[in-house]
Amino acid sequence: MLLVSMCAPLMASDYVGSAVCKTCHADVWFNFYKNPHYKSIASGDQPPERTGCEGCHGPAKAHVEAHGGKTTIPRAFSLMEPKAVLDACLTCHARDFVKVNVRRSEHSMADVACTSCHSIHKSPVSQFLLAKTQTELCYGCHAPVRAQFSMPSKHRVNEGFMACTDCHNPHGAFAPTWRMADQPRMVEQSTGNQEPCLKCHADKRGPFAFEHPPVRVEGCEVCHYPHGSTNAKLLRRPVVFTLCLQCHNGADGFGTRNNGIDLLSSSHNMLDPRYQRCTMCHVRIHGSNSDLYFLR
Amino acid sequence: MRKILLFGWMILARTALAQPVVTPTPDQAGSPRGENTGDYNVVDSVELGYRMAIIGGDLGMYRTDVNFGDGIRLLSSNLSVNSKDGHGRWFDTIVFTTLGLGNDPYQSATLRVEKNKLYRYDMLWRLDDYYNPGLTVAAGEHFMDTTRRMQDHNLTLFPQAKVQLHMGYSRNTQDGPALSTVQLFDNSSSSLGSTFPLFSNVRTIQDQFRLGADVELAGFKLSLTHSWVYFREDESDQENGLTSGDNPSAGVNLTQFQRTAPYHGVSPYWLANLNRSSQYWAVNGRLTYVGGRGDYVLNEGAFGVTPLGAQNQQVVVGGNAARPSVTGDLSITLFPGTRLTVVNNTSVDSLRINGDSGFLQFNDATQTSNTIDFRYLGIQTIANATDLHYRVTHWLSLYGGYHYSTRRIQDIEDYTAPGTPGTDLSYEQENQQQEGLFGIRIKPLKAMTISLETDTGRANHPFTPISPRNYQALGGRFDYRVRKLTLNAAYKENYNNNSITLTSYSSRARNYNAGGSWAPYDWLTLDASYAKLHLDTVSGVAFFAGLPLTSETSEITGLNEIYISNIHAGNLIARFVVKRRVDVYLGYNITRDTGDGRNSAAPAGLAGPLSLFVPVQTFPLSYQSPLFRISVRLNPKLRWNMGWQYYNYHEDFGLESFYQGYHANTGYSSVSYSF
Repeated sequence: MLLVSMCAPLMASDYVGSAVCKTCHADVWFNFYKNPHYKSIASGDQPPERTGCEGCHGPAKAHVEAHGGKTTIPRAFSLMEPKAVLDACLTCHARDFVKVNVRRSEHSMADVACTSCHSIHKSPVSQFLLAKTQTELCYGCHAPVRAQFSMPSKHRVNEGFMACTDCHNPHGAFAPTWRMADQPRMVEQSTGNQEPCLKCHADKRGPFAFEHPPVRVEGCEVCHYPHGSTNAKLLRRPVVFTLCLQCHNGADGFGTRNNGIDLLSSSHNMLDPRYQRCTMCHVRIHGSNSDLYFLR
Repeated sequence: MRKILLFGWMILARTALAQPVVTPTPDQAGSPRGENTGDYNVVDSVELGYRMAIIGGDLGMYRTDVNFGDGIRLLSSNLSVNSKDGHGRWFDTIVFTTLGLGNDPYQSATLRVEKNKLYRYDMLWRLDDYYNPGLTVAAGEHFMDTTRRMQDHNLTLFPQAKVQLHMGYSRNTQDGPALSTVQLFDNSSSSLGSTFPLFSNVRTIQDQFRLGADVELAGFKLSLTHSWVYFREDESDQENGLTSGDNPSAGVNLTQFQRTAPYHGVSPYWLANLNRSSQYWAVNGRLTYVGGRGDYVLNEGAFGVTPLGAQNQQVVVGGNAARPSVTGDLSITLFPGTRLTVVNNTSVDSLRINGDSGFLQFNDATQTSNTIDFRYLGIQTIANATDLHYRVTHWLSLYGGYHYSTRRIQDIEDYTAPGTPGTDLSYEQENQQQEGLFGIRIKPLKAMTISLETDTGRANHPFTPISPRNYQALGGRFDYRVRKLTLNAAYKENYNNNSITLTSYSSRARNYNAGGSWAPYDWLTLDASYAKLHLDTVSGVAFFAGLPLTSETSEITGLNEIYISNIHAGNLIARFVVKRRVDVYLGYNITRDTGDGRNSAAPAGLAGPLSLFVPVQTFPLSYQSPLFRISVRLNPKLRWNMGWQYYNYHEDFGLESFYQGYHANTGYSSVSYSF
């Protein structure tokens, strides 16, 4: 019956207007003028299917005649399949540029619907009608990420300085332009097609006459954990030289020359502590304009 | 009314979960109705208080990790002004929030002003005090005490119309004192060179201007943005007075050093996006062009003495770098019916980096050299991904995908001396990667979801020894959500094996997590979560070493660098309300890396190359933070809040003889006023 109700064509004559809805749903209507969706009512020039309560829930005639009941609402979101929820919201929100990838987003493919994160009538936060604070929403499913942001070295998300959406677009994103264009799949790129890290860390953007190739080819994550780490500077290893030696081992077939990434010079006696702090000399490790070996 | 108040408490309870920092006190969102002023409703809340911190142990590490200090703060504020009929004269909505103003290390302010149909303005301002003594990465010689300030302004005209105009401006600055290092006088010989610390004055500024439009026509939505990003770095370094550097045995003394190295860059970009969707399909395409360019000069003068005699070296470098890149995407989505979704996405990215660096070095005592170097790096990637999602029944879904990508990297390295032909060495390589994924999602109950997924991929020519080559991921997830109870558990493992003839690399990451949230009553909420993050990697390494340190080095091969990390992270939160007046919050957070289980960093008598790796193959530590907060309602508009948070950071082994443990008692007392 529910399926029949939801699949039935929405007839123009079945719209009753929001004024009828508020008779019973006064608690929803009471503060609705603070809701961004109130714009459609205030404008006064929208057709019935794009304004007020029925703009989202569909024509209410049957619901009124039945004196209530969720199953008589053409679009009762708590009863709808995730795809149907997405379709309903995109009726209006498809025009937003930030949502153009929502159909192919990881969230949509995992049946995370709009109403999983947004509370249209009872949002406790001041913007975007989120069902909870943003970190709380994201941590609810991404528990390992929550653990990373609680580590000693981390980006300041829990402190409120940053938000997950500074780097990620929960509505889906274009394919990354680094690694093999496969992962990560939900990052919001800087200046259209660069890593999100560069939004803030502008000094790493370049271009440099001498790039450190893995930074451009594999991205910042090749050396850093972007969320949090037990190591200084969000590094993947507690000391720098172990990180560098993983790649700089001369093994054939890797690197830009296709014949191995440079082995350290024979003048670098690794048992001498001076050479264990690689970035003490190679200070411009992210890229340099003055030195092929990033020394200045 | 009672319903609304209950809802307010419930929201408080649920938003408390992700609150590992004791301040600010969670706002009474949902409950205040505000006051009506003319045609507007105004809701306001302000929390003003005093924050304290008593720190023991390593102050530098505390400032790196936590950094809260003493003083009076506007801990938070929240202002909302809403037009009651949506027809305000100048605006319909104002939302203004602040966090940590008054010298907290993390401060922010947001503002939205909106007039229906006419405009929408968003502002975000942020400040971050960054402090890092850099002990374990550079023995303290890369100390930083800088401040980053960021602001974003976005204005949209006609936000509800079919033609919208967008304008934006962002500014990002970083400034403050820091230390850096310079290697002098000989870059190639260990016996004649030394590393010297330098005072550095960090100063970077990035300005971004944006202009764009969204147009809706004949069912198509076109977004067009043009932006200009200007970056300036005017860092200067200097050192005065006699310094023997970090390598006294080299007999190198620096008496004076100065360097100026201004860099100015601009990255203009165009972004165009066209999309359309209908009942059975959607198509989305974008094209981005970013033309990056940078110009720079470096002037460096060094005066000193080496075993070879007095040194008077000047280095002058000037040149440019360019990095134009083009990216295109086309995504086609088909949904024939309500059960099936098929998405195909093709991406093309082309990036090339080149530049000229004219390098002029004068050594007044011995020689003059003049070289020109540049490197060309080109990266082209084409990727195609097809994903399918089929809902078999309302309780069963299947999804799968096949992703293919190919990448070509070209590299040209040139070295030219005046009067000689260039070397012009060029290289090229290609990598193809194929990946398949499959998953199943079951909903045996309305509130329960069980997901299983696997992902496996092969790459034939990865770029680095640690890049994905033969990898697979397996994962499972369980969720149970009802109104008062949420339970979840998940497991995911990622394996990557990248072995070739002379070296090998493999990594295994296994993540387990479980959590739950229980709100049996309106006045009580309990939350708990646990995660274990395991990582072990084995890497083949090769390097030069020799003892004693002054002797000739020999190449060391056949060693493996092993790293093991076992991180346990736990979180407990209890929140309850006493007689609707007193809100109590108790929390405890712990991160513990047990490492590989050993008791000491290295066994006694360890020598030779193994002594290089064994002490750093694991880094056990603990970081824990209990917190307590109480908020008392004095009257409907006024609350008194008090909180305490303790931080304890302990390194079991330390690194490079540095033990950076600390403990800190932080707390605050504040008054919240809201209506």
